[in-house]
Amino acid sequence: MLHYYLEFEESIGKVWDKYLNKKVYKFHENERVYFADISKSLKIFHHLMGGEKGKDLQITDKRYLNTSRTFLQKIAFLGKEFHLAWQDEDSIYLPASSAYFPTKELNEMLYYWLIAMATRVNNITDENIIDKNHATELYLINKYDGFKQFYNIASEYLIDKYEQLSFIKSLDNQTDKDLVNDYPNPMWIYPSPLTINKTKKTDDEEQDPTREESQDKTDTLNMKKQANQTDDKHETDGFLAFLPESLMSIFEQVNVDRCEDDTFDEDALYHAEDLDEITIGQKQANLSSRIKMDLELKPDTTVKYPLGKGHFIDEWDYLKGEYLINFVRILPQVPMNVIPIELPERLKKTVRKIQQELDLLELDRVKNDNLPYGDEINIDTWIEYCGHQNKSMHHQKFYTTFEKKTRDMATLILADVSLSTEGGITQEVRIIDVIKDSLTVFSEALEKLQDKFAIYTFSSLQNKKVYFSIIKNFKDKYNDLIRGRIDTIKPEYYTRMGAAIRESAKILDKQQSVNKLLLIISDGKPNDEDRYDGRYGIEDTKKALEEVKKKGITPFCITVDLDAKEYLGYLFGRNGYAVVRDGQKLPKVLTEVYINLTK
Amino acid sequence: MSKNYYLPQSNEVELFKTAAQMNLPVLIKGPTGCGKTRFIESMGEELGRDVYTVVCHDDLSAADLIGRHLIDENGTYWQDGPLTKAVRNGGICYLDEIIEARKDTTVVLHSLADYRRVLSIDRTGETIEAHPDFMLVVSYNPGYQNVLKGMKPSTKQRFISLSFDYPKSEIEKEIIKKESGVDEDIAQKLVDIAKEVRQLTDVDIQEAVSTRLLIYAGKLITKDFDPYQACMHSIVESLSDEDEVLKVLEKLVSLYFPRSSNVKK
Repeated sequence: MLHYYLEFEESIGKVWDKYLNKKVYKFHENERVYFADISKSLKIFHHLMGGEKGKDLQITDKRYLNTSRTFLQKIAFLGKEFHLAWQDEDSIYLPASSAYFPTKELNEMLYYWLIAMATRVNNITDENIIDKNHATELYLINKYDGFKQFYNIASEYLIDKYEQLSFIKSLDNQTDKDLVNDYPNPMWIYPSPLTINKTKKTDDEEQDPTREESQDKTDTLNMKKQANQTDDKHETDGFLAFLPESLMSIFEQVNVDRCEDDTFDEDALYHAEDLDEITIGQKQANLSSRIKMDLELKPDTTVKYPLGKGHFIDEWDYLKGEYLINFVRILPQVPMNVIPIELPERLKKTVRKIQQELDLLELDRVKNDNLPYGDEINIDTWIEYCGHQNKSMHHQKFYTTFEKKTRDMATLILADVSLSTEGGITQEVRIIDVIKDSLTVFSEALEKLQDKFAIYTFSSLQNKKVYFSIIKNFKDKYNDLIRGRIDTIKPEYYTRMGAAIRESAKILDKQQSVNKLLLIISDGKPNDEDRYDGRYGIEDTKKALEEVKKKGITPFCITVDLDAKEYLGYLFGRNGYAVVRDGQKLPKVLTEVYINLTK
Repeated sequence: MSKNYYLPQSNEVELFKTAAQMNLPVLIKGPTGCGKTRFIESMGEELGRDVYTVVCHDDLSAADLIGRHLIDENGTYWQDGPLTKAVRNGGICYLDEIIEARKDTTVVLHSLADYRRVLSIDRTGETIEAHPDFMLVVSYNPGYQNVLKGMKPSTKQRFISLSFDYPKSEIEKEIIKKESGVDEDIAQKLVDIAKEVRQLTDVDIQEAVSTRLLIYAGKLITKDFDPYQACMHSIVESLSDEDEVLKVLEKLVSLYFPRSSNVKK
């Protein structure tokens, strides 16, 4: 009996839920458009509208607003949270999807509209939100007939569906402004949410270098969440869920919260989306991976020998619009105790193939005319001889040959060896392995072409330490020792790219060659554990590249980062980079790119 | 009336005329379709000089510029190249996209581009002194080249340099109106589209829309083509092959020239 009663109650509940949703829920699910599907186009549109090219587009989190909800909305728990568009220095934040309107075209157009709005308005506050948004709307509808059409349809539709938005009609009369804060207008740009973001810098002296943010899976949460930081470092916090006596083999205290589940939560992303606010602890989590990493390390016989105490170079602060003079410390170093190795067996086939291709290429051959002997008769010279007035005085040089010629080319290869290169391309192959193989294969090819080249790697720990390792300088001969040095390369620390580029440019600048190429091999964005992340890092790198070009050096970047295209275009220009989709093809692609570049 | 319509943007006409008077060679830099060739042609007309245009490429040899021996039934004879013709008879020798030519080819210009103004032809043993009306003009597009290609500094430093860019909005509007016959409103919209597309140069598209393409769009519109379609074929499709870029450019065009089907109720 009870069973039937429960089933009956459930059916009633379903009907009620359906009724409520139909009454209150005003979105068009079938016409929903997702930001992720059109983000690339939106990014280009942002540039087109004159938006700052260093700015990123991201998904916004929901915001809670105290609106005057209808009775039904209250019952259905709807109309409390909204995904509103806003922006800050780094990014424009847009809703993850849009389904306000009854057609896909209109829902998609809303995104374009918001981008256009965001590029025109700035510094929105609660006080000026009406004036600024309204003025921009007027600007857009006056300038673009397409937006005018969209605005007319969209605003009419919104007013019709959400009576709270009827204030839109009266905006021109400057009345009913009180209503504005009542219900958010999806076509407006809103002030940046007040984040209680205490991103206070940890003043721990010893940062764990093995922890890089980009390795953390939870970083793929592509959404701006409200964040809060808590001090959870006190060892006494937390409930001890074990008997201390049972621990027999711990000799030293480790900084670990025993209550914490240290397995990776596969559903973390899903949960994170639902959270209103994420609280960030300062303790290093993921102890399991840390221990694993320590255990994996073989005893390291190679030592990096520091060349002097380092020197300082400048960094560009885009917020201030000026250089921070002598801000970054470069620490040049060279690997010692390296065991020279021969070309690894696994690469021999690739190298042989590339060298065969190079043999076929005539790019390094130069045509020599007017020789007394040679490969072919030059018909022009023969005709010229026939036409010459005084044949006895004419040189009888009718042949042409093709000779090899070394090109006046100096190439510096700068490889990013930050910890993110530890990441795997496949189960067995890590990015760093591919980079190492590329450096070896590429060196063999350059050696064959007899072009001058040098190889450096870099990694960084804030502005205090930018490690700049010499694998091969321009004077070194390429030999087994250099191969050995390439073999010792290990992923470490972060990617302060601007500093490494400036240092490389200094070295290339001293070369006498006519053509100078700075070839950067990287797997990702510039980033470091201080503020050198996001836009700050990109703008500094951009500035460094401008300096490089001014010196007459051509920078070119090769990356295996598939998402890289968006910012690489901004950094290197359209023809200044190549994305290698299959990392394992990097060795071959690198050589091809080089040959095309220097043809 | 002049055959070539050219609307000056700045002081380029005076500068060019003065250079012509003083026998100075001129170098013009600027993006594709901004009016470099049109400018030279109109200057040739104004100065009453023939324009010998050579479009440079990888295989352009010194003989292609200077001339070569040829064979006919009577034996061999010498034929002047365009440069030699201009040097002998007077006229403007215009080497378009000089950066594409091999570096050893451009060296023959050196003696013509400095105070000597002579051309030595090794093959005939001749040294020709340039005609008083001879003028050397070269051009290149700094954005459109192999990343490592550049002009030899020793060549570059023999020229008076002029930088061209796309015309200012007002001037470009006048040019479009005059060349294609569209009305003020359409011309303004075409100029606005171009202005926005040009913000994508180098980052999202290789090269921005040229004035030439805007004129094409205008011409299609005056032939009763739907403005949206005209812009799609002359501007959007010509600029990129990438889907995302095409989509955005299409969106931009539809903002200026909305199609009724674009926005459904």
